[in-house]
Amino acid sequence: MKRIIMISLVCSNFLYASSEVDELKQQLQEQNKVIQSLMKRLDNLENIKQIATQKTLSVESKPKQSPIQSYDYASVKTKNISNSASFSQKEYLPDIALIINSSAVGRNIDNEKYSSYEIPGFISDDPEKEIPFNPDRGFNLNYAEVAMSSAVDPNFDAFAVFHMTSDEFEIDEAYVSTRDLPNGLKIKAGKFKSAFGRYNEKHQHAWEFSEQALVYAAMFGPEGLSDAGIQVQWVAPTETYIMLGAEAMQGTNEQSFGYEKGNSLYNTYAKASIDITDDTSVLVGTSYIHGKNIEGNTDIYAADLTIQTQLSSYSSLAFQSEYIYRNMELNATTARQDGMYAQLVYKYNQNYAAGVRYDTLMKNNQGDNNLDMYTAMIEYQPFEFSRLRLEYSLDKSKYYDGKQKDVQQLMLELNVAVGAHGAHSY
Amino acid sequence: MKFLLLFLLSLSSLFATLNVQTTYTTVAEIVKKVGGEHVRVNTLASAHYDPHFIVPKPSLISKLRRADVLVMNGAGLELGWLPPLLKGAHNGKIRPGAKGFIDISNAINLIDKPVAVSRAFGDVHAQGNPHYMLDPYNVLPVAKLISEKLSINDPSNASDYAINLVKFEKEWSSYLEKLDAKMSTCRDKKVLQYHELFNYFLNRYGFKSFGNIEPLPGVSPSSKHTVELIKVMKDNNIKKIVHDVYHSQKTGKFIASKTGAKVLVLPHDVNSVDEADTLENFYSFIAGQLCQ
Repeated sequence: MKRIIMISLVCSNFLYASSEVDELKQQLQEQNKVIQSLMKRLDNLENIKQIATQKTLSVESKPKQSPIQSYDYASVKTKNISNSASFSQKEYLPDIALIINSSAVGRNIDNEKYSSYEIPGFISDDPEKEIPFNPDRGFNLNYAEVAMSSAVDPNFDAFAVFHMTSDEFEIDEAYVSTRDLPNGLKIKAGKFKSAFGRYNEKHQHAWEFSEQALVYAAMFGPEGLSDAGIQVQWVAPTETYIMLGAEAMQGTNEQSFGYEKGNSLYNTYAKASIDITDDTSVLVGTSYIHGKNIEGNTDIYAADLTIQTQLSSYSSLAFQSEYIYRNMELNATTARQDGMYAQLVYKYNQNYAAGVRYDTLMKNNQGDNNLDMYTAMIEYQPFEFSRLRLEYSLDKSKYYDGKQKDVQQLMLELNVAVGAHGAHSY
Repeated sequence: MKFLLLFLLSLSSLFATLNVQTTYTTVAEIVKKVGGEHVRVNTLASAHYDPHFIVPKPSLISKLRRADVLVMNGAGLELGWLPPLLKGAHNGKIRPGAKGFIDISNAINLIDKPVAVSRAFGDVHAQGNPHYMLDPYNVLPVAKLISEKLSINDPSNASDYAINLVKFEKEWSSYLEKLDAKMSTCRDKKVLQYHELFNYFLNRYGFKSFGNIEPLPGVSPSSKHTVELIKVMKDNNIKKIVHDVYHSQKTGKFIASKTGAKVLVLPHDVNSVDEADTLENFYSFIAGQLCQ
């Protein structure tokens, strides 16, 4: 503080450098007096401040950098030539992560035939249908994904995921969420993945198995329930974790909704979690989704259960299951269908994990009941940001030319993430 | 009856203590010393687990939801688990930048700052080594910062926080003298580590670490690297292998058996081992193990 005053006074002297020397001396004396009086005031103020905090501390915290102390006025003047950093903005860049996902696939059905599969009552046999992940026998570059996030201002965060494939660019998610609403509230707006259930909000590279859960594929398609809309979530101020959420979305998902005349989808869900022991936690959830398809109303009821036990820092056992029921009004009939999956994943250590999953579409009044799929995987993670996964699946849910056919698939998937550290979710 | 209950509840909230969440246990002990009766302290991470990898259980979200103040270690140590919990907690009081958000690494001069940062060198912490609570001399700067920040969050008790700090400073300074005296008797100061977890303690007392069992930060031991380490151990006559509580000790014990060294399992936080149940016992236990 004192030094700032001194320097500014010295600076001001330069401005009047052409004045006469006597005048200057006189001024200097006057200013010295001013400086002395200011210093006295400053000392007084500092004393008061010290009294206010009751003491001076004997221990030094991190030495505060005083910009004045190291400020060599004369040298800076001559050295300050390059202005290249004057408008540098790199500190404001959002956190950026790049994810690359590719695979090698062996399958007992050729590529052309594979894309014409049908699950009666759920998925039509349209050969042009989108198969975004691992469509081909042989090698697949599934996608490169860029995720960016940053605070917009004190009130909002922004987050976006750009999903790129060889011939397509897609905005997977792009939303703004509030930072500072009171009473445990948060609002999200933009395009986002619905937070109902356990599976829906996760991107493909965060799935525990590379192949999508059958009930999600059948009812929501490869991207799940993802749409433009608005979301409100509330976390209760209780010891037990309780979260209530509601979403209003456009309802463009053609698999279950797809009404085109206006926004039509409303979604509510509740989640609760407790720790049974220090290392075992249980999470339950239930959801209700109401929307419209082209022909009538669609109602979806869902429930989920997760139990996770931590065996050590790097080892855990996790059970997860979801059940989804769909009531879909069509022109001539009402589709009543349900399905579920149950999976068990064992993390052995930092490097290895293995898991099994059972998928089934149980009730289906538009086609066959009890369409099953079995999946098993082994994972090797040489490092936190890279993962190799060998996955086998036996899929009994698919139909070709009107006949059910077992699809067997063996896949080796490589996934890497670079850049900003994507934190692990539960 | 319900009204009476509600009234009592609202009354108690008027005289409420400050609900402080810390990420790790050692800091929690310091907050208790400085906060005294005005704070209620909870810790998110179990001291038995790797502080880099804490499972983000939903119950941790509800802890953060109710917190008035969050005291975090910072320097990247919580990068892998805290951000989604903070996001999920919807608590404006402790969002980064709010007065209830305290990053105590601001009080510390970090060591081991990498010259170049790339994950080709493993899971490098760009800001420097984040395990600074292992240096007993970092306790007081942290305590001072916490005292200042508690005063900002709870101005009505500011004088108590200042008094508690002065008391604690006295207590800790005399403890440090004792600890220094104990450490000055130490002769053999050559060690091997699993991870650069104990650098702050080792540096403080002039120990030399000759290498790490993990070839790179966050990378599991490899046989090639282990063979090299055994040679380093033999060449330099190293008899101590410093090990954390959460990694497998298999490789460490193997190296020990080949070199006649001893594996010392040291706590990284208060309560990581049973003996380290208080702040003083935590540092004393490390000193006792290293200096036996």
